[in-house]
Amino acid sequence: MVGRILSPQLARTGLSPIVACLLLVIYSIGATGCNDNTAADLSGLELDDVVLEETERTVSTAEGSGSEPPQNEPRGTHQLAVEKNSLRFGFIKLTDCAPLVIAKEKGFFQDEGLQVEVIAQPNWKTLLDNVISGELDGAHMLSGQPLAATIGIGTQAHVITAYTMDLNGNAITVSNSVWEQMKRHAPELAKPQVQHPITAHALRPIIDEKIAAGEKLQMAMVFPVSTHNYELRYWLAAAGIHPGLYSATDVGGRTEAEVELSVTPPPMMPATLEAGNIQGYCVGEPWNQQAVAKGIGVPVATNYDIWNNNPEKVFGVTAEWADKNPQTHVAVIKALIRAGKWLDTADHAGNMIHREEACRILSRPNYVGADYEVLKNSMTGFFYFQSTDRRAMPDFNVFFKYHCTYPWYSDGIWFLTQMRRWGQITESKPAAWYHEIASKVYRPDVYRQAAQLLLDEGRVDTKEIPWDTDGYKPPTSAFIDGISFDGRDPIGYLNSHTIGNKDNAL
Amino acid sequence: VVPLVRLGFGEEPERQLREIVRLILVPMLAFATFLGLWTVLAPRHKTKSGEVPTPAVVWDAASHIWKFHVRESRKEQAFTLPAAERQQELVAAKERLSLLVRYESAAAEQVAEAESANTERVASAVTALETRRAEVAAEIDEQRQARQASLETEAQQLAPGDVTSRQAYLDAMRNHLATTEQEARQLADFDSQIAAARTAKSPSLHRANATLTGIVEEMHYLRTLIEQLEVGNRHLKVEREIASLKTHQKEFLLASAPFVATAAQQVLQAESRVNAAAMSQYAKPWTLPMQIARSVACVFAGFLLGTLIAVPVGILCGLSETFMAAMTPFIALFKPVSPIVWLPIALIIVGGFITDPDSHWLIHTLEQLPLIGWMKINPAFIASAITVSLCSLWATMVNTALGVASVDKDHLNVARVLKLGFWSRLFKIIVPSALPLIFTGLRISLGVGWMVLVAGELLSSSEGIGKFVWDQFNNGASDSFAKMMVVVFVVGVIGLLLDRMMVVLQRLVSFDGLEASI
Repeated sequence: MVGRILSPQLARTGLSPIVACLLLVIYSIGATGCNDNTAADLSGLELDDVVLEETERTVSTAEGSGSEPPQNEPRGTHQLAVEKNSLRFGFIKLTDCAPLVIAKEKGFFQDEGLQVEVIAQPNWKTLLDNVISGELDGAHMLSGQPLAATIGIGTQAHVITAYTMDLNGNAITVSNSVWEQMKRHAPELAKPQVQHPITAHALRPIIDEKIAAGEKLQMAMVFPVSTHNYELRYWLAAAGIHPGLYSATDVGGRTEAEVELSVTPPPMMPATLEAGNIQGYCVGEPWNQQAVAKGIGVPVATNYDIWNNNPEKVFGVTAEWADKNPQTHVAVIKALIRAGKWLDTADHAGNMIHREEACRILSRPNYVGADYEVLKNSMTGFFYFQSTDRRAMPDFNVFFKYHCTYPWYSDGIWFLTQMRRWGQITESKPAAWYHEIASKVYRPDVYRQAAQLLLDEGRVDTKEIPWDTDGYKPPTSAFIDGISFDGRDPIGYLNSHTIGNKDNAL
Repeated sequence: VVPLVRLGFGEEPERQLREIVRLILVPMLAFATFLGLWTVLAPRHKTKSGEVPTPAVVWDAASHIWKFHVRESRKEQAFTLPAAERQQELVAAKERLSLLVRYESAAAEQVAEAESANTERVASAVTALETRRAEVAAEIDEQRQARQASLETEAQQLAPGDVTSRQAYLDAMRNHLATTEQEARQLADFDSQIAAARTAKSPSLHRANATLTGIVEEMHYLRTLIEQLEVGNRHLKVEREIASLKTHQKEFLLASAPFVATAAQQVLQAESRVNAAAMSQYAKPWTLPMQIARSVACVFAGFLLGTLIAVPVGILCGLSETFMAAMTPFIALFKPVSPIVWLPIALIIVGGFITDPDSHWLIHTLEQLPLIGWMKINPAFIASAITVSLCSLWATMVNTALGVASVDKDHLNVARVLKLGFWSRLFKIIVPSALPLIFTGLRISLGVGWMVLVAGELLSSSEGIGKFVWDQFNNGASDSFAKMMVVVFVVGVIGLLLDRMMVVLQRLVSFDGLEASI
């Protein structure tokens, strides 16, 4: 039809048939393009006659009683007026991306009226770059990433978080040969059931030998501002081994190092260890269990041993995105809280009833993709330290218990103190700065909004949310070296360590 | 095919048969030998990161990939299906689910059985090894003690200052230490054997586990499908939102003064929710067939871009030796650069132009296009396409230059006699006679582009075959290797098809009847 209308005109203007064809193609593209977005049946949109009739009837029956204020009938989910309903979230193939995957697969996002794509990213750097460039709306991030981006370590951008995805979930694995040497130096490790936590003291003679031979032990972590980097450094430093300092000129963090740390993406860890480029690594699951399953390494310490219930991953978005899509942000956090709760739901005996299903979902190739058998180990509360040494670790992955999803300021401050301790923050800062940055990045206000809505919907219990906290967890000394951490006193904490930068209180 | 047709017409049957043997049977035999060798050799090569998959395993992996695609497509369909068909699907899905529930318990039983058998087998193997190890350890212990004892007695017999006997003692001690170390190694070998025996799984357990996993996966898929059909479907969502809109409208009409404003707001919000529900799209994960389509689109985008640059520049190079001289350093400098170097540069450049992909006009326009709109073209795609063009355009450029430079002088003389202008000389004489060579260049370019693309996608994490390979590598699951092998064949076959396509085009334009080489 379009052609018939067009061709006389074209003939008049003297355009050649080829051009006409081209135009036709463009027209048809335009036409089909429009068809794609056909509006739905919007017959209900006007205050039409049906409604009017019904209303009259209601008015006549309710005559004189006056009208009630409009109230939301208790529906399943109170959908927010989201600014954007199709979202793209990034994740790294680790079991702790579970809240994102579960919120999608169990339909929690859909309940909020969101269509969410969950896309695997090759490494933490690309993930962060994609969030900053707007390619992704948000992502599963390392706790240190929003803080580091906001203060400008690496890429500079104001990234915020209103949801902590999980606690714990990492471990330090050493290669078989290092493990053999450790056993030789510390005979108590040779027993089939080793006393945990294993400290890095047994590494000392190996490191000395290496240094005498003009080499340094090589270990890997996943990203310069990752929890893994700080945990590995903490574990080494707690045994008096210097893991090296960052400085303005040394962005590799190897100044004064006795053990050299480098960056390897999580999924590459087992292969790199097997190839002999590194002798140990600190990474999240399933990459430690993978090393056990393939017989290429031995996990020696979990981060639960290094710091009981330490915060691990967060859900991060840019501040710009959050300002543009405030309702969407709340809706996403709502779905994530539900997912966290679903993951940690336990029966009376304390068995987590949904974890096996979660493992099935995570083992799909478009999510974590590792074998179900491997994922199942740590996710269902067990951890293999060696193929003969299977232990119950019910808190290896915590997704909801202990108020863990709340964005605690004190968590942010711990990471900031570590960045300062190892020199990523190059100059000393006053205590007030730590609090300021933490409150700039951690956004409990959004979390509370979401939690309140869930409470109204009856989806969470009032005691599951820390309503009257000031954002600081009580001081804790549940660290491998027993040093106490109080989020209110970052400088004091910094100065209580032997190895690492220290600051004068300002 | 040609010999077959000729045979059908009874034309020189003997010669045709020979041709058939040579052209069809021989390649098939070679391929069969290859498959056979692969089947035999693959299981012999075991690494800690997994086994080399046999053809059967690869075939299995391919069918898994396909199943994943089909399931995701059905889910997407369920999102948009109208009421009548929805009911049908729902009934079918529920029937299948109830069937599977029964299968599941049987499969779980099988797994439990296989597991207990396996533990038994492992236990017996481990105990056998352990007793053997204990024996060897005892033997070693005995020998060591004997050696130590002899060393001690020797030490007592040593006279002070006797160099030769002391030297002998030193040698004996050295021997003793070396043997001890060797023995320790022997025991360590035993330990690793025991560890391997512990983790060994019987094939029957493997199979049982695979069956159970398959059933559980399908059940999960069916449950999601049913949910999608019963709740998630777009029509249902729109209906629900319209119902809620109507209640809000009613409330608004009845609201007393203080509540009118909020009620009005609620009506408007409900309206926008109806719209949002009507426009909502199913968030489908990328499956390999979709990724292949996107990769092909990407390679053609890059190829077109490269051609648009290479052909004009090549013609200019061929026409003017001065221009050629000016271009030579660039060609020489940039030609050998690897895609891995180009890609980050391309990413930065594209990122500079498209700062906010969500609201950029180019991305929006591309999303509206019918055939490629669903591909979600993003900066990473554009950067990959640019990388493809940067790596592949050189072959076209050099060949075009050569083709233009070697146009028959007689033709040019004829043009001069006819007093043809520059443009008609270019389009009537030069380009047509250079066309065969241009197409040879294009064919090489397309091949290079297809090769480069996988690396580009892998680095830029742009959805496509490269990303699929990278994801599989990262998954590290037991079937990841097999899935990567599937990709080897997919890439090969598509590369072959692209090449054939270019050969056909080349034959169409080469008017001198020149046969293109394979």
